[in-house]
Amino acid sequence: MTASSLPRPPRPRGRVLDARLHLLSRQVLDRHDVPVTTIDDLAFSPVPREGAHDREEVTGARTYVVDALLTGAALVVRVFGGRAPTSVWERVGWQHVSDVGTAIHLGVDGDELDVTWTERWVRDKIIRHIPGGRHDPE
Amino acid sequence: MNRLLGVALGVLTAIGGFLDIGDLVTNAVVGSRFGLSLVWVVIVGIVGICVFAQMSGRVAAVSGRATFEIIRERLGPRAGGANLVASFLINLLTLTAEVGGIALALQLASSVEPRLWMPLAALAVWLVLWRVKFKILENVTGLVGLCLIGFGVALFLLGPDWGELLSAATHPHVPTTEGHAVYWYYAIALFGAAMTPYEVFFFSSGAVEEKWTVKDLGQSRINVLVGFPLGGLLSIAIAACATVVLLPRHIEVAALSQIVLPVAQAGGKLLLAVVILGIVAATFGAALETSLSSGYTLAQFFGWSWGKFRRPERASRFHLTMIVTLIIGLGILMTGVDPVAVTEYSVVFSAVALPLTYLPILIVANDPGYMGEHVNSRSMNVLGVVYLTVILVAALAAIPLMIVTGAGR
Repeated sequence: MTASSLPRPPRPRGRVLDARLHLLSRQVLDRHDVPVTTIDDLAFSPVPREGAHDREEVTGARTYVVDALLTGAALVVRVFGGRAPTSVWERVGWQHVSDVGTAIHLGVDGDELDVTWTERWVRDKIIRHIPGGRHDPE
Repeated sequence: MNRLLGVALGVLTAIGGFLDIGDLVTNAVVGSRFGLSLVWVVIVGIVGICVFAQMSGRVAAVSGRATFEIIRERLGPRAGGANLVASFLINLLTLTAEVGGIALALQLASSVEPRLWMPLAALAVWLVLWRVKFKILENVTGLVGLCLIGFGVALFLLGPDWGELLSAATHPHVPTTEGHAVYWYYAIALFGAAMTPYEVFFFSSGAVEEKWTVKDLGQSRINVLVGFPLGGLLSIAIAACATVVLLPRHIEVAALSQIVLPVAQAGGKLLLAVVILGIVAATFGAALETSLSSGYTLAQFFGWSWGKFRRPERASRFHLTMIVTLIIGLGILMTGVDPVAVTEYSVVFSAVALPLTYLPILIVANDPGYMGEHVNSRSMNVLGVVYLTVILVAALAAIPLMIVTGAGR
């Protein structure tokens, strides 16, 4: 069988994103354009079998979707390799993503997300206690 | 009229804000040892910083992404992280040198031991970072920094043989008293001083702080293309003053007092006072810029909320980073290290970190996803690639030359 006789793969609808190029290491901004984190890694999960293509049943390939954006320990893993236990993953669910551009926009407030706990901790324990920390600069 | 005033203010700020302790020390040291035979390096460096500052500002204005966000995005966590570590440490070294420079300048003015000035200087830097608006801190230090024109005035008052100076600058040769390796070591130091990476971190983040858009690109281009070369002219004036006064007397620059010696000789106390004020403003401004840059680099790499346009509590990790960096810098100074020596090392290490900083800017400036129709023109790309090659050669040669020459001794 020559390459030309192979069936052409169907063109996916919508925009084609290269996860490595268009998602990894990009900035994540909340709905007020405040930075939330950078995408350190991605969590995927397989699409449930019953919704899968017939063709995949034949080839054994499965379709995966992005589940969540990972940060925190995921960065350490990306730099040094290895595997972090799932308990230390810090995740932002993909359902919060509202737009993918040169930055990834979320439809929620960054403060509502678990991943910004260090920002809140530093703010509540240190910065708020220094006079002037709550005011606009003059 | 208002617009013209705005342009003038921008240019003047760029001139006054161009010089920092690295430029002051390196140019004076080079002038006192090599005369004007390294002026060509200053010119090469100024064209380079114009090319890349302008490019990083354009990327920030068009895409809203500051330089370290782009470094992280293009280089990924590993190479980006290596760049972060290097840039952060060099930035810390530069910040240390700048705070030391403020203290030394205040010592010249007051005869009070610099180690008493250092904590005060660091505290003042932090207070300004904590409470003063970005626009004000940039403009005030830039405008007062214009007092450094005193070096140019001093040069005229010294009445040198201009023809001789010009021919020394246009026909560079290694002085018989110095070796070739030392000559090239100082060439790299001058190049590093002119192109310090923190300048593009600060410049691009400043574009985001001031909410530049495509409309502001014209103004930013004028600021850079007029302000930086005129600021560079002041660098050359410092070197020329040292050439005229220090070189014939074999005075080696080891302290700030020797850098301003030609000014005192030419213009007396009054001009000296003006120049010291200029040095305080220039080092103070650069201390602000390097502190901010330490926050910018870390926050942009990790995706934290950052910026002076937010209240400190809305960018808490960013402000904490600046506080910690200032405390570490102050700690280094209080051990009694010589700020002038710290400066000499910081400019050479700057040269080492340049390629990893400027490559991602060049790549993203060509990416229509970020830049739309404002991608680099062909001539800008040619310039960018030529400079990247020069930067790479300088970065690779810096450490070996430092070892061979014993850091220029």
